Amino acid sequence: MDDLISEFLTETGESLEVIDSELVRFEKNPEDRAILDNIFRLLHTVKGTCGFLGLPRLEAVAHAGETLLGKFRDGDLTVTPPMVTLVLHAIDQIKVILEVIEETSGEPEGDDGELIKRLEDASMGRSPEGAEAAGKSKPAADVEAPVAEVPVDVPGDATADDLPEGFDADLGRDLRPGEVSLADLEAAFNDTPAEVEAPADESSEAATASDAPKLGIGDFDPILGRELRPGEVSAAELEAAFGSAEAEVDVENTGADLDVITADMTTEEALQIAVAELSGGDDSGAEAASGGVKVSKTVRVAVEVLETLMTTVSELVLTRNQLMQAARAAEDEELKGPLQRLSAVTGELQDGVMKTRMQPIGDAWRKLPRIIRDASHDLDKKIELEMEGSETELDRQVLELIKDPLTHMIRNSADHGLETPEIREAAGKDPKGTIKLKAYHEGGHIIIAISDDGAGLNTKRIGEKALEKGLTTHEELAQMTDGQIHRYIFAAGFSTAAKVTNLSGRGVGMDVVRTNIEQIGGIIDVSSSAGKGSTFTIKIPLTLAIVSALIVGCEDQRFAIPQLSVRELVRVGAGSEHAVESLNGSRIMRLRDQLMPLIDLHEALGIGEAKFQTADDTGFVIVLDAGGRNVGLVVDNVLDTEEIVVKPLSDSLRGASAYSGATILGDGSVLMILDPNGLAGDIVSAMEEDNEADRAHRRAAETNDTQRLLLVRAGGDSVKAVPLALVTRLEEFEVKNIEVTNGQHVVQYRGRLMPIIPLGTKIGANEGGRQPVLVFAEERTAMGLAVDDIVDVVEERVDLQMSSNNPGVIGSAVIKGDATDVMDIGWHLDQIQSGGVQRAAQAKRRNVLLVDADAFARRMIAPLLVAAGYDVTPTGGLHEVRAIADAGDNFDALVGDPAALEKIQSEGLWADVPTLAVTDWPDGNQSDNLTEIVPKSDRGALIAALDRVSQDEEEAA
Amino acid sequence: MSDDYLTESELNAEDMNEYVSVRIGNQLFGAPVLEIREVFTPQSVTSVPMAPAEVAGLLNLRGRIVTAIDARRRLGLPPRDAGDKGMALGVERGSEIFGLIVDSVGEVLRRPSAELEPVPAHVDPNWRSMVKGVHRLDKELLAVLDVSAVLGLADTAKAA
Repeated sequence: MDDLISEFLTETGESLEVIDSELVRFEKNPEDRAILDNIFRLLHTVKGTCGFLGLPRLEAVAHAGETLLGKFRDGDLTVTPPMVTLVLHAIDQIKVILEVIEETSGEPEGDDGELIKRLEDASMGRSPEGAEAAGKSKPAADVEAPVAEVPVDVPGDATADDLPEGFDADLGRDLRPGEVSLADLEAAFNDTPAEVEAPADESSEAATASDAPKLGIGDFDPILGRELRPGEVSAAELEAAFGSAEAEVDVENTGADLDVITADMTTEEALQIAVAELSGGDDSGAEAASGGVKVSKTVRVAVEVLETLMTTVSELVLTRNQLMQAARAAEDEELKGPLQRLSAVTGELQDGVMKTRMQPIGDAWRKLPRIIRDASHDLDKKIELEMEGSETELDRQVLELIKDPLTHMIRNSADHGLETPEIREAAGKDPKGTIKLKAYHEGGHIIIAISDDGAGLNTKRIGEKALEKGLTTHEELAQMTDGQIHRYIFAAGFSTAAKVTNLSGRGVGMDVVRTNIEQIGGIIDVSSSAGKGSTFTIKIPLTLAIVSALIVGCEDQRFAIPQLSVRELVRVGAGSEHAVESLNGSRIMRLRDQLMPLIDLHEALGIGEAKFQTADDTGFVIVLDAGGRNVGLVVDNVLDTEEIVVKPLSDSLRGASAYSGATILGDGSVLMILDPNGLAGDIVSAMEEDNEADRAHRRAAETNDTQRLLLVRAGGDSVKAVPLALVTRLEEFEVKNIEVTNGQHVVQYRGRLMPIIPLGTKIGANEGGRQPVLVFAEERTAMGLAVDDIVDVVEERVDLQMSSNNPGVIGSAVIKGDATDVMDIGWHLDQIQSGGVQRAAQAKRRNVLLVDADAFARRMIAPLLVAAGYDVTPTGGLHEVRAIADAGDNFDALVGDPAALEKIQSEGLWADVPTLAVTDWPDGNQSDNLTEIVPKSDRGALIAALDRVSQDEEEAA
Repeated sequence: MSDDYLTESELNAEDMNEYVSVRIGNQLFGAPVLEIREVFTPQSVTSVPMAPAEVAGLLNLRGRIVTAIDARRRLGLPPRDAGDKGMALGVERGSEIFGLIVDSVGEVLRRPSAELEPVPAHVDPNWRSMVKGVHRLDKELLAVLDVSAVLGLADTAKAA
């Protein structure tokens, strides 16, 4: 019985969690019968099992809740938030009782009369319709006993005797009586209304149940629900109202009545279909209901068993490693084969066991919808919770550890992040706030992002608070970026909530979250923009158990460094291009134009003299990722890489921040695992500030759209810039191959003649007889611009500071610190084509609106169109487009992403302007609304199509 | 040790305390038998730089990592001679195993619990915090170790 109860507890616990979140879903979609059916089934199972195990108190509560749900299902009652709250209360009460059962194996003393009363009132009293329905269904269910009293009257033993008898014929013994039979019958009735109703009619005639003929499917379900309860099953054998159900059973057993047999057959068929549907359909929903079917696929295993298995496998792996090492030393051919097999099998076993530890992150999210719902009620806010990537798997251990921080953060977002509906409306936002939870894999990590569309972090208040707490000074604060200030919310004891709510704001907020996350080797960060919301990003390792590590030597000791935090290895000293330099005693190394601080492991651990005191010292520098920065760790040598099993440190060693754990190597020796963050702690926090400014600068540059520019020298010493995106290729031709025809320089290029014009220089001026040429290919023609010298490619923000009167030059910009002319390639190309090509003759340059959310795509396409003689207005999103439309600008064509273009059209903007969609997958994007679709990769086709459509447009006009 | 301890200890099993007798420095100590998982010779101890002084290092005990605590350092005694590894008492605390390194391990002693006397007040407070009481043996005193305290676990529990 104990086993039964413990299994019941786990199973019910899971069911209740599902019910919790399903109810919240249901509240939003009261029309969705599938959800309600699912909830009903789950709750019914709980109730049924309670009866079976003799837990009357639990059963009574579950029953009352079920009755109320039954009313929702029959459509007798409409679903309102207070109603759902009431059901949730019932679920909570069940949970409370379950907890006590778990501790004492028995139901606690107590009375749930009040709650049951409220549930009954809700299901009967409040709506006359509901009362009527209840009255109607009562005689059908149990003539003598009012609904709520039933569970009390029922003797627990009756279940065991009666249930199998009643349902054996229908369903078979394998299936648990309560849950599956209900689900199946229900589904059968739902699926085959006609067949079910027919026997119901017949049998009810015989049974003289006056209201039975009127039973619709909806009315029928609650009866079936009750029927499954112990007392009512026996009652069913006697009660006339149960004629319909009984007739079926009887008929199946005797097989006498032909009419009913056909009806019965169909029901059976329907049953099969229903079962198939249930097991194949919505997993979470069907799981509990179709437990009988699913049982073959999953087995419940105690966590301890898995943990033991994991430890055993870890040791097996270690032993294998030891064996392999020994075999390598012995070079015994006979051992080689079997050992390799052993190694492979061990590897598979390890993978398999690791898999048993993986759990979808959705398991940790299951409680959240309920929390959000309660929060939205408590706070009087409208909150929508969106969850994405709940199937993302991660180690059970990690999952357990992030559960609480996640809950905390979600609460925070609801409480502090989102504004009240009034404020939101005033700010022109949807009164309903959204919290988005997203999880995905990235490298060996899992990323969890929690974003809200609330007010964003209050930079000013955080700053004030930081001052108040003495975390910073006015001067420092003034120099900080917003991002830096925002990070103070992770500081200990930091809470800006003006009022303490019962949800959060007690000052033990984000710092606890951060500590928890850092304990499992994770990183947390926040980004926020005022008025638009904030996003918290958590990056945590997939598993803590086995990691690949680099084994390094320092003095006579070895240490392990997790590979994940190793960026690269650099050999330093004699014969290496890298050298260690020092600045006021602090050692630094140059790594690709950046100064990287060095930590000497000897010094950091106090185990010997620091290296690189003299110039001819050699050693290794391990470039570590410490909190996102590069930090070099000086060690004596690098020995090996090995898969290691991370073992936690004992409390006595927690204080040593240099280590994150310990491990046992293949040879049986114990190694300490170094923690880069711990080692580099001080340096990193100092770097944080510098780099933050750096990054902010870079970010600013990015948002201003950097351009890749080709720097060339042509006609004089000064450097000229050409947007690289326009250049198809860079070529060099032998000067002697460049011929002159018709007053123009041409060269034979890919079987054609390509005209070349000098970019302010003389062709063939170069010594050495080679002429660098920038090739611009377009459709089937190609043109060349001759330059003296190709200097460099730079990525810079082009800020045209002076526009130029000089044709062929767009303007000047400061590039790499020098004023540089930016060439107008379009003008130069026109020079070549003048007269020949129509485009050059066009009197006016046409306007094109380019819509693409992808900045890269914009950057690719825009110069192309410019070069083809169009004026391009690039836009990133619909709001920009709308703003332009509002401004009344006109365009000859719209070019861009098909989805965006269709949206524009559906909004009726520029209705008669041709649209030209550019996409990577032209085949998958057929649309009647778009004028033309061209592949992104084909620049020629794009220009040709654009010429065509804008030409059409012109002619039409 | 000697036979007369044993004869005396046969008297009344319920009221008897059993101790693993260990020697640390010149002093005879007793560690309650029930707290000791096993006795082993510490081999290839990996020292842990930057760790608290009393942590002698980590070692591998059949696939499990054991934190070795040097009892001499905890008791403020001079270190053993180099090359003398001593013996270790394996103690399980939660999911962790600790190895308490002592000089040598003797036999198991049984003493009546009634005979446990408090530690004299003038003994060094550091010692007193790690010794639960004293049994008078014929030739010397047996100081009963508070194993958790010697491992430094009582401290952390208090601090936390």
